Amino acid sequence: MKRGGVIWSWFWMILGILYFFLPLVATFIFSLKAKLGVLSFLSYEQLFNDNDFIRGFSYSIMWGVLTIIVGILIFFPTAYWVRMRLPQFRTAVEFVTLLPFVVPAIVFVFGLVRTFSHPPFLIVDSPALLVLAYVVLIMPYMYRSIDTGLRSIDVRTLTEAAQSLGAGWGTILFRVILPNIRVSIISGGFLGFAIVMGEYILAQYLAKPAFAPFLAYLIQQKAYEPAAATIVSIALTWACMGIIQLVGRGGGQAQIAGGH
Amino acid sequence: MTHLELTNISKQFGQTTVVQDFNLDVKTGEFVSFLGPSGCGKTTTLRMIAGFEIPTTGKVLLGDADITDMSPNQRDVGMVFQAYALFPNMTVAQNIGFGMRIHKEPESAIKERVAEMLALIHLEQKGNSYPSQLSGGQQQRVALARALANRPKVLLLDEPLSALDAKIRVSLRAEIRAIQRKLGITAIYVTHDQEEALSISDRIVVMFDGKIEQVGTPFEIYNFPQTAFVASFVGTLNTTDAEVVNPAKKLIKIDGVQLETAEGLEDKKKGDKIKIAIRPERLNFASVEKKANLFDSTIENITFLGSVVRIQVKVGNNRFNMDTFNNPFLELPKIGAKEQITCSREAVLILNS
Repeated sequence: MKRGGVIWSWFWMILGILYFFLPLVATFIFSLKAKLGVLSFLSYEQLFNDNDFIRGFSYSIMWGVLTIIVGILIFFPTAYWVRMRLPQFRTAVEFVTLLPFVVPAIVFVFGLVRTFSHPPFLIVDSPALLVLAYVVLIMPYMYRSIDTGLRSIDVRTLTEAAQSLGAGWGTILFRVILPNIRVSIISGGFLGFAIVMGEYILAQYLAKPAFAPFLAYLIQQKAYEPAAATIVSIALTWACMGIIQLVGRGGGQAQIAGGH
Repeated sequence: MTHLELTNISKQFGQTTVVQDFNLDVKTGEFVSFLGPSGCGKTTTLRMIAGFEIPTTGKVLLGDADITDMSPNQRDVGMVFQAYALFPNMTVAQNIGFGMRIHKEPESAIKERVAEMLALIHLEQKGNSYPSQLSGGQQQRVALARALANRPKVLLLDEPLSALDAKIRVSLRAEIRAIQRKLGITAIYVTHDQEEALSISDRIVVMFDGKIEQVGTPFEIYNFPQTAFVASFVGTLNTTDAEVVNPAKKLIKIDGVQLETAEGLEDKKKGDKIKIAIRPERLNFASVEKKANLFDSTIENITFLGSVVRIQVKVGNNRFNMDTFNNPFLELPKIGAKEQITCSREAVLILNS
């Protein structure tokens, strides 16, 4: 590459880094200025001593984890079955999985409220509705991630090998196929989890005490704690991404080997 | 004693008939190969035995049991796949013991059997390795051990050597055959490689276009092909059209040259058009005394194949290949030279169309 090209590459890269990181750094520095004249972690202390924060944060974590578990239990067998037995429906299923991108969350949530706020589906007050809504929300990420994992191994031959050895569907799914696409499942799971942690509209309009509505409330009420909460939220997202990378590096070999 | 019986098996996918009217009895301990080109229905037939496909018509009997509609995990058959299909998340030992664990056998019995299988495939040291740490040949040996560990009634092998290089293929096929003989297990082997089928099988089922062309021992298939397809698919063969001259005296004619055959022409009459075949190694340069089955030929090409030299000769409008053993001390004829060639009456095979 020519010298001029290298300089421009660096220029755009540094510009990109500044664009992404300056607001973060500014927010972080701002979050440290709760005590007049000195930098301190006071806003973080106050945040972690705030019961509403703990409640919202733990609420989102708990239902987020449950969302991921339900998502895996629904999307993994579905993606497997479509790949094995219904390949002609793959395009249709992929289209369905993309619908959360097409339907605005606000339309989705009003649809949920209208449908589930009177008998026989009166579950609008239950966290179950939030979990089911979250499952729909994470569908594009989770389904595609699992499907990509299934594409990287020879699903049909592994299934037939297990069948010829006497295995039933449960064993095939959870002891043969799932361990070989665990990287994809964990990636999809953490991606979904990060999305659930930052989700605002569903939690707000279904009146659930989740983390994002709490953060919105906090921004209206206080100065420094919202910045601290934002940093905590981003740290959590990054931790998820880090775990994806870590697991991906460790489990890559096994997943690739499945393609033999 | 018949162990595996396929009766009037056919398989259709939509409007396409992939296998039709397939009948075969396999004896206990027999090694039978399905041989044919891609798309001839051999793998589909094997998959019907395994239970991965259900026949459109016909029955599959294993011992006394009708297993036609039984699911694959209840059939008690072991299968080895072309792509190895080892479970990447499990060690070699776990792969081999997988089937026994499914059948909830005691852990001590599994351990013992896994050790026995590892010794059988000479991979005693690899029990704790993962499939990705093994070579292709080693992986396929593990796949074989895994298929055998459950003591299945039939072992099915679907082109198990196709993904391996030539040298390993030869050594592994001998190993597979030795293990099969040692255990006395009935085996069905699918291959498109005629040399593999000829070297490994007790009997070969040659298939084409969903149908059985011929069933026989490797000797019968090679030396006495019954159809034009078998003749062309198995080994190198010279085939040409001929005309019956005298059915009683078994005389035929190619391009005006009269030939005698040892095969029966009772159902033919004078003037009938037939197809004949002669193996290249059955053609020789004529000695002076030879009177019958003599052709005047012109040498067109000479190809050195190592132990064999293949000479292409033109006889009338036909081109024949003639194989002769390589002898460095004998001079080969020159291209363009006129030579007389001959064959025995037994070498002239009559093919069913």
